[in-house]
Amino acid sequence: MEVATQSAEALKRQIATTEEELKRLKEQLAVVEAQSSIEKAVDGLELGAGPVTTGKWPLELEEYKRYGRQMIVPSIGIQGQLRLKAASVLIVGAGGLGCPAAAYVAGAGVGTLGIVDGDTVETSNLHRQILHNTAKVGMKKVDKIVEKYDLVLDCTDHPTSRYLISDICILLCKPLISASALRTDGQLIVLNSPPLPTGDASGGPCYRCVFPKPPPAESVVSCGDGGILGPVVGTMGVLQALEAIKLITSGKLLAREGEKADDASMLLFSANSNPPFRSVRLRARRAKCFACSAEGGLTLEGLSSGSLDYVLFCGVTTPVKILEPEERIEAREYERILKEGNRRDHLLVDVREKVQFDICSIEGSVNVPFSTLQGSGGLAAEGEMPAWIPEALPSDAPIYLVCRLGNDSQIIARKLKENGLGKDSRYIGDLKDGLKAWKEQVDNSWPEY
Amino acid sequence: MSTSSKAPPGHFKILYFGPAENHTSKSSEDLPAPLPIAKLFSTLEEKYGGIKANLLESCLITVNLEYVDIPENENDEGMVIQEGDEVAIIPPVSSG
Repeated sequence: MEVATQSAEALKRQIATTEEELKRLKEQLAVVEAQSSIEKAVDGLELGAGPVTTGKWPLELEEYKRYGRQMIVPSIGIQGQLRLKAASVLIVGAGGLGCPAAAYVAGAGVGTLGIVDGDTVETSNLHRQILHNTAKVGMKKVDKIVEKYDLVLDCTDHPTSRYLISDICILLCKPLISASALRTDGQLIVLNSPPLPTGDASGGPCYRCVFPKPPPAESVVSCGDGGILGPVVGTMGVLQALEAIKLITSGKLLAREGEKADDASMLLFSANSNPPFRSVRLRARRAKCFACSAEGGLTLEGLSSGSLDYVLFCGVTTPVKILEPEERIEAREYERILKEGNRRDHLLVDVREKVQFDICSIEGSVNVPFSTLQGSGGLAAEGEMPAWIPEALPSDAPIYLVCRLGNDSQIIARKLKENGLGKDSRYIGDLKDGLKAWKEQVDNSWPEY
Repeated sequence: MSTSSKAPPGHFKILYFGPAENHTSKSSEDLPAPLPIAKLFSTLEEKYGGIKANLLESCLITVNLEYVDIPENENDEGMVIQEGDEVAIIPPVSSG
């Protein structure tokens, strides 16, 4: 009987491994197929570039019906519609920005629409171990793809891809419409318009002109960590499509002879602010910009050879590893402490922000948000007890810290120790892997959000 | 937040956008004017320890909705923020 169980176990393991392998192969196939369909679409455009005339009218009869309401808008007209049909637009990133942007760009009658996502420049890969390779492979592919389009929409979600896409657009003289969104705020900028060559001060500024220095890697907040409202990111994506339509229909995809940049501006959207929209005027190209000035060091060769390390430039966040193994306990170990002991024997401090604590929390835990413990706040002067420690708590009672994933809890545990709360041989440590481990080890009904 | 109200006499208004708002825990405030733009970062650093390296140095700064350059040296000449001006701290948002 035992032998049979063992061999069944072995078979199950083998099935799991094989399924894993199959999944990986399918993913690879999808990437290859997506790549070749983009190439095909682009080839199609090259064959049929320019307005297609079948008979005496430049558009198909059905197109007059479909785009009629748009065409009778004075700033569009038949000329604008023909320009849209002849144009090719590349959308990089098919998430919260890219999806609405793509819907409206396609809906306006743009002739060729390319959407790149997945391994090509999938920036969520940047959080993984293989980040260097992925970023460089992506780079090589992206400049080859961008080459084939007239206009690029940056709908990605990380500084690394934003600098990379901007640099490519500068080198290939393509205008770029960049948007972003987080929580209730959004930003929109039309960059490199007119798209004049590197060193031409009349060209529009690039992403590096506006933000020469990337934010510290630890300060970069994703929508997954910081939160996002659908209509906020949707608004920004739709506005990107609008800017694309404006650029195309006004014939601004290529720089005209002697053209100078209009004042570039950044549109800021803050849903909770009054007024919710603000437009700030930007300067022309920065005289010493690394990418678009004559003094800059950016070249296509440097970019395709991978000698420019965007990941390094933007900084890498390494997993937080502050506490020693003996300063950390497993979730199941805490459950045992909870069952065996008296609640007053210890304190569990949840350092997530209040909005997250309100969603779900371990019974008996106290919420002291990470942000309130930053700087000097939240902690009492040397030798005194912070207000959030119950008076009844014995001075040697352990304090356990918990957060969503087990990073912030380490930072705070260390900080409490440094502040002297660990004297009187009090144990201070955190729950390893945070509430994620609590769900895995203790309570599978825990609402993961 | 209501950012449309004017700063009281002798002050300028400073707006904190997106991540800057999280850093200062407020969307706007009034600071004493005049203030040389070169001293803006050190003034804010005094109020919010760590804000210069963690946030301000990668931000876009505008005065009355116009982009301004922050001189690298505090004693450099540069524009002076005047009473009633509106300064905005705009960190790059990259997610989407």
